[in-house]
Amino acid sequence: MSDKPVVTINNITKTYMMGKVEVKALQGISLTVNRGEFLSIMGPSGCGKSTMMHIIGCLDRPTTGHVLLDDVDIDELDDNSLAEIRNKKVGFVFQTFNLLPKLNAVENVELPLIYAGLKTEERRSRALELLAMVDLKERAFHRPAEMSGGQSQRVAIARALANNPSIIMADEPTGNLDSRSGAEIIHLFSELNKKGITLIMVTHDQDIANSSKRIVRLKDGLVVADEKVR
Amino acid sequence: MINLAEPLKLASQSLLSNKLRTILTTMGVVIGVAAVITLVSMGEGAKSYVLNQISGWGVGANSITLQPGDGAGTSIPELTLTYGDMIAIREKVKKIQYLMPEIIGRGRLKYGAKEYTPGYTLGVSQDYPLAYKQKAAEGRFFSLAEDSGRKRVAVIGKTVARNLFGNFSPIGEKIKINGVGFIVIGILEEKGAMLTYDMDDMVLIPSSLAELTMGTKNIWEMMITTNDEKDVPEVMDEITKLLLARHRRIDFHMHTQAGLIDITNNILNALTGIVSAIAAISLLVGGIGIMNIMLVAVTERTREIGIRKAIGAKRRDIFLQFVMESILITLSGAVLGITIGTLASWGIMSALKLEAVIAYNAAAIACLVALLVGLFFGVYPAVRASKLDPVDALRFEV
Ligand SMILES: Nc1ncnc2c1ncn2[C@@H]1O[C@H](COP(=O)(O)OP(=O)(O)O)[C@@H](O)[C@H]1O
Ligand SMILES: [Mg+2]
Repeated sequence: MSDKPVVTINNITKTYMMGKVEVKALQGISLTVNRGEFLSIMGPSGCGKSTMMHIIGCLDRPTTGHVLLDDVDIDELDDNSLAEIRNKKVGFVFQTFNLLPKLNAVENVELPLIYAGLKTEERRSRALELLAMVDLKERAFHRPAEMSGGQSQRVAIARALANNPSIIMADEPTGNLDSRSGAEIIHLFSELNKKGITLIMVTHDQDIANSSKRIVRLKDGLVVADEKVR
Repeated sequence: MINLAEPLKLASQSLLSNKLRTILTTMGVVIGVAAVITLVSMGEGAKSYVLNQISGWGVGANSITLQPGDGAGTSIPELTLTYGDMIAIREKVKKIQYLMPEIIGRGRLKYGAKEYTPGYTLGVSQDYPLAYKQKAAEGRFFSLAEDSGRKRVAVIGKTVARNLFGNFSPIGEKIKINGVGFIVIGILEEKGAMLTYDMDDMVLIPSSLAELTMGTKNIWEMMITTNDEKDVPEVMDEITKLLLARHRRIDFHMHTQAGLIDITNNILNALTGIVSAIAAISLLVGGIGIMNIMLVAVTERTREIGIRKAIGAKRRDIFLQFVMESILITLSGAVLGITIGTLASWGIMSALKLEAVIAYNAAAIACLVALLVGLFFGVYPAVRASKLDPVDALRFEV
């Protein structure tokens, strides 16, 4: 495992305005995630986990502070460049899968490849390859409605991996799954991590967190603990 | 270079996945385009009908109409042109093909004990058959020699012949017009009714005898043609000089057939334009309908937009996807509208027994306008979609 950082966040804050009330979702968080890490983020509901994930994944910008992704300071990038980073360097996995319901599995996996500008045939073969990697080749032409939660989440993971991202961001990926499907997803993540993929995952479940390599605990928008597993 | 194939594919997929809505949204454009094309085509058809009618009066680009009065007033002018003026023009002005005065009066016809008063009794020249493209169907028309020689010969219309002679041939019969004796030498070809006037209910006599028969030598109108179109200005100039020398004032005016065709064209174009503009408003309404539906679509698909952005769609990608939907709707609406409009104008015109003039240029313009409408009303919803914040869009619950 190299110690080269993939993500460095430096004293980031995020303040939302709810009408006239300020909500301080993040109050100054610093964190470094190195290549090949498998990091769990834990904390009570509303402590700012999703907000932090969005900022690291370039879906959102911090109110103050800096985010370095692969040594690039994303503050200095315009919206188009952020979209490109989301496309190429980050793979997002959501609690609610967020697949497009009208597209089948392989078409959903193709989406990031479309925006990356791949040609039709390249896209199709790459998407099928990815579905094979998550063990869903036989469901390639089924729509999300025809698949179980665990299968849908595996499609979402295949989609997240499409453009060989530097990091996978998973926000409560097992939150909507039964424990068996959840365990399968975590197993898949461990396998991916063994292949060298960097992962950050939000979870409420201590057992799940224990299968990662490092746990960061948040409370009220601050890091309260950062420990190695085992 | 921007790749349009992907947004086009996405747009058509989403339109096809909501067929009823797509069809209803398209309807506004279909109706607008069809209405514009039908109305413009009908306008063109009416125009060609009217212009044909005008040329059917026997007048072409080489004709000049000379009328009394200065042409400015709206009241009926004093009849200042006389038989004498006509003779002068015939003698002095060169390059004239024919010269046809109309001295209008009323004549009471008598044949034996039978009496009949036709709609018109006209003093005309031997050029009448040329000027009105109406020959004698039976017998003959009178000649220049007969007009100049004040020969008492008359040519009668079919209606007059029927009323006075029944089924007899009137050729060679003696009749009296206002007590003056004439010999019938011809019957005019039947011309039918023009608007409400029965064109066959008239008697033609030599212009030289108008004063004797009807007590007037004043000309209502003189139809003149030149040998060549390009002689028209020169002939008009010579007539003006001649009449000015005779009358010492401008109490006459001339207009040309080209001028009449221009005026008619202008009026009909304006009418077509106004009616089409009204029809075009429905295009606008269709456009607003599209915008409305697209705004709904953007809201409904907020989450989809969020997902697409989260995995790397740029603003431009989202914008193109949505604007392409509007353009596809309007373009397919335009194509359908052109088809329906063409069929409708063809059907209507053949029902009216008129020649269908399909307005292809109007079709092209309608397509262009529909495209612009799609762009104009599609841009705002598409911009809104493209500007959605990805995190907000992902949180959005329908
Ligand atoms: N768009 C927003 N507008 C206003 N407040 C928000 C918004 N997003 C998150 N928050 C608030 O910020 C805090 C942190 O939210 P979040 O990061 O979603 O917490 P978690 O994922 O840890 O449950 C919460 O109090 C939440 O209500
Ligand atoms: Mg959360």
